[in-house]
Amino acid sequence: MSTITVLGLVLLVLMVLVGGKAGFQSFLALLLNFGLLFLAIVLVAFHFPPLPVTLVVGMLVLALTIFMSSGDDLSSTVAFLASAAVLVILVLLIVPVEHWALVQGFGPEDSEDLEGLSVLVGINFVQVTTATAILSTLGAIAEAAMAIAAGLSEILEQHPKVSTRALLGDGIAVGKQIIGTTFNTLFFGFFGGFLALFIWFTGVHYSFGEILNDKIFVSEILMILFAMVSVILTVPITTWVMTRAVAGQRKRAAKQMSEK
Amino acid sequence: MQGLVKKRKVTLGLWIVVLLIGGLLVWGTQHNASLYHDPIMQVTSVQKGQATKEEDDFHNVDYQTKQKLSGHILNGKYRGQKLTVTNTYSLSGAMDQHYRKGSQLFIVVHQHQHGQLTATAKDAKRDTALVFMLWLVVGLLLLIMQFSGFMAFLSVALNGVLFLMAIILNGSTQGARVLWIFGSLAVVFAALTLWLVIGANRQMLITLATTLGGTALSIIVALLVFHFTHEKGMYYESMQYVTQLPRPLFLAETLLGSLGAVMDESTDIISSLFALKRERPELSATQVFKSGRQIGSTIMGPLINVLFFIFVADTFPMAMLYLKNGNSWGYTFSMNMSMGVVQSLISGIGIVLAVPLASYLASRFIEKKVRA
Repeated sequence: MSTITVLGLVLLVLMVLVGGKAGFQSFLALLLNFGLLFLAIVLVAFHFPPLPVTLVVGMLVLALTIFMSSGDDLSSTVAFLASAAVLVILVLLIVPVEHWALVQGFGPEDSEDLEGLSVLVGINFVQVTTATAILSTLGAIAEAAMAIAAGLSEILEQHPKVSTRALLGDGIAVGKQIIGTTFNTLFFGFFGGFLALFIWFTGVHYSFGEILNDKIFVSEILMILFAMVSVILTVPITTWVMTRAVAGQRKRAAKQMSEK
Repeated sequence: MQGLVKKRKVTLGLWIVVLLIGGLLVWGTQHNASLYHDPIMQVTSVQKGQATKEEDDFHNVDYQTKQKLSGHILNGKYRGQKLTVTNTYSLSGAMDQHYRKGSQLFIVVHQHQHGQLTATAKDAKRDTALVFMLWLVVGLLLLIMQFSGFMAFLSVALNGVLFLMAIILNGSTQGARVLWIFGSLAVVFAALTLWLVIGANRQMLITLATTLGGTALSIIVALLVFHFTHEKGMYYESMQYVTQLPRPLFLAETLLGSLGAVMDESTDIISSLFALKRERPELSATQVFKSGRQIGSTIMGPLINVLFFIFVADTFPMAMLYLKNGNSWGYTFSMNMSMGVVQSLISGIGIVLAVPLASYLASRFIEKKVRA
């Protein structure tokens, strides 16, 4: 058996042991997310336009991740709506910045890996790199939206009569708790991935100016910054969606009461 | 109430200062050419040539266009001189750049005869975009999160400095001790970050122990699996930018990658358990353990997802290029995505193992603090 299969099985067994049915569902969501990511790559290779493919795949990933985890209905719906809104805003930010920064495709550091490959493949790499940046933030958006929605729905459970104005403040307070640790997840996640690149920079003695303008470096740092923007935006947007949802629920409840 | 208004005013003032300094920095990067050693050219007009059709062995059709860039040099000994540079760009643009009027780019000057300069385009100047995004992140963080936003940013910045120092240390030892350097760095990282986020107390110690325990366990499990499967299907040669022994480097990358997520998770679980115990001190150790498992099992899935997308989405451009070059799906996966998937799986194992570990340590050691 290959290493990937065994590691996957170990993860599956552990997730079921720790989380039971919810653990199994999370594992399934992970597997399906991988399938969706691969599907996106294949579709783009078949000349489907990268941005629409990414948006559709992104929405599916968010839905899968959020609805397959165990949360109550209200917080899952709120988390999904909020993360979808963040995804759209993020696309509006990433597209112009990627065009401006000229970080599409590959850099001189990639030449060894590109040996023997034709790079003139007729697919716009600005869009491919934009798609990459969007996809790499999906997990962070889903996680932050779920954490805040869950925190708020717990507050609602304990104080069902809390005013929507107070709820807005609570959302920011919950956000403050999670933002520090989420930033660290992103920082270590990305920097772990770029360790080899940074070692390269010091090994070949790049100057500070060269690093700051290096295609690969700028592209990778932009990805971290996009992910951070998305996590920051998730806090107020999720809170706002939650207050709307609660206000709507209360209105309906009041209407039913008066009808009776 | 008055104190609150005053505090708000101070934060607002701070925010405006940050906004102004950031804006000035972004503007500055447009005019900082004199700080660079390499000559920089500002494009003032562009002449576009005919597009030529190209077809490769795999019937991929692309178009290449020549452009003539006219402009002047912004820095160095040729400062102010006018020149024209030719540049070729393709529709796909994977390895080339399409410059426009107003672009700034680095050039290599070849000859200087009779006041005529010949030069070739080297690469685009990208620092403005980078500083702009940094400014946006810091501005948003302070606007929405205020003081906690500042702390979050501080911890990331401090970790960045430590990271840089470790890389320089690694370089000076020729990469021979990469796992030791980054392993001990992980301990310092975790201690520093948790101290900044939680403060120096019992809760921080339990969280630190869980973080280190979970990460270490995941690496041990991974090494055991590597041993029994003889690393079948692991393509170290497919790792990018490798300049030293790939296996320890891979483990160091995985270690760092999972550290943040495990820390995130243990902070969440343990702080919830401390809050729970404060509200209901009568809870027994077994009940605390059960609640911990409950909280942990809802957050572990999304967290594994975060790392999965960070590790694997990054391979998108290269994987697509492989597919367009007539490679099979299986080969494309092996050569581009398999190492990222292995990293996600190892981190996932760490994230899952941290759940019972956090719950156990919290249930066992929470007692004294709450009584006191």
